Amino acid sequence: MWMLLAVLGSGATASPENRQADQASLARVARGDERAFAELYDRHVRLVFSLALRILQDRADAEDIVQEVFAQVWVQAARYDASRGSVAAWMLILTRSRAIDRLRARRARPEAAGDAHAAETVVDLAVPQDLELLSAEQVARLQQALKELPDAQRTALELAYYDGLTHVEVAARLAEPLGTVKTRIRQAVIKLRESLAL
Amino acid sequence: MDVTNDDDRPELEPPVLQGLGQAVPQVDPPLALRARVLASVGAAPPARPARSVVWPLATAASLTLAAGLGFHTSQLRTRIGDLEHDLLDARARATSAEQRAADAMQVASGARLSLAVLTAPDVARIDLAGQAPVAPRASARAFWSRSRGMVFTAADLPPLPAGRVYQLWVVTAQPAPVSAGLLTPDAQGSVNVTFATPPDIAPPVALAVTIEPAGGVLSPTGDKYLVGTVAARPA
Repeated sequence: MWMLLAVLGSGATASPENRQADQASLARVARGDERAFAELYDRHVRLVFSLALRILQDRADAEDIVQEVFAQVWVQAARYDASRGSVAAWMLILTRSRAIDRLRARRARPEAAGDAHAAETVVDLAVPQDLELLSAEQVARLQQALKELPDAQRTALELAYYDGLTHVEVAARLAEPLGTVKTRIRQAVIKLRESLAL
Repeated sequence: MDVTNDDDRPELEPPVLQGLGQAVPQVDPPLALRARVLASVGAAPPARPARSVVWPLATAASLTLAAGLGFHTSQLRTRIGDLEHDLLDARARATSAEQRAADAMQVASGARLSLAVLTAPDVARIDLAGQAPVAPRASARAFWSRSRGMVFTAADLPPLPAGRVYQLWVVTAQPAPVSAGLLTPDAQGSVNVTFATPPDIAPPVALAVTIEPAGGVLSPTGDKYLVGTVAARPA
């Protein structure tokens, strides 16, 4: 298993086996099994770290987020409802939410960047129904679709997703009318959705 | 998907949301982070598969170390659990002691206020009589001092139906009676309370106790249970 993952060069892909393995690990984590926790870490840290790094653009901050996310997984494992979505998808949601919290705290107080503010945020356990990791092929299609988006659409979408900005904030950042920004984001989302539906 | 909201962050549907999370350039975290994360939850590093002939020895050594650490960790965890239990226990006892002290202070302060009223130079006594047919046996006595407050004691008030409360009214020369407060008698129908006197209240001409909905009302609506007029007003 380890060798296989090493060869694939990715800790997480979407497959029923991986999903089941994750849920089995999480169930053991809920009983305090540290080895199962280490398994989850090894399987998903790359995904978590990469997203945190993309959002925060700072390795030390991204490492902090990894610690926070896995600490939360350790604490909340018993309350996680496996029927709602995959463990990896849950972890990505935690990651984005905590990373954006930290980003916003940093923006609010530039001099106190990277403080403990993010740790205070309570992240909801609720995962949208049936949230799953995408397969490697789907991710590749999405990346291609992202690349092909007009720059204006991609920028607006990235500000909304990776910087956690509201519509109004995106409009202010780009000095564009609110309606234009909303339309661009909507169009971008439609194209990305289509790329996944192929 | 809803992107019609003005102020909210754009909502992305799950597959796109998930995809954007996965579509970022994949970067390996530093190896040292693993030990830090696992240590932060007390996890001993599990054995990684040996990838060369050099590593098994090191792995064995680290496993031994890990086993030792694991035992130590589990001891520490037990100890922390015990200490947390002690702490909760101590906190509960402190809270209970604080509550008793607060209760005692309230009693003492009530007693001090009663004494102050009873010894006030301007104290007036008001006797209240139970009203037929609702409370013919009830009786009450109030000592009223404009400067220090009012001591009110009542006996033989009928038991209150659920959702009702007794309310004490001060009747002055003004048309509207002023509420002095709510009365909750004990099982024997006795009440013993002390009220502060509102500074701007007109001299009372009578006191009355009515039965009202729980929480009290702004002006009396229910039957009168006790009524008494001021016999002697201090100069």
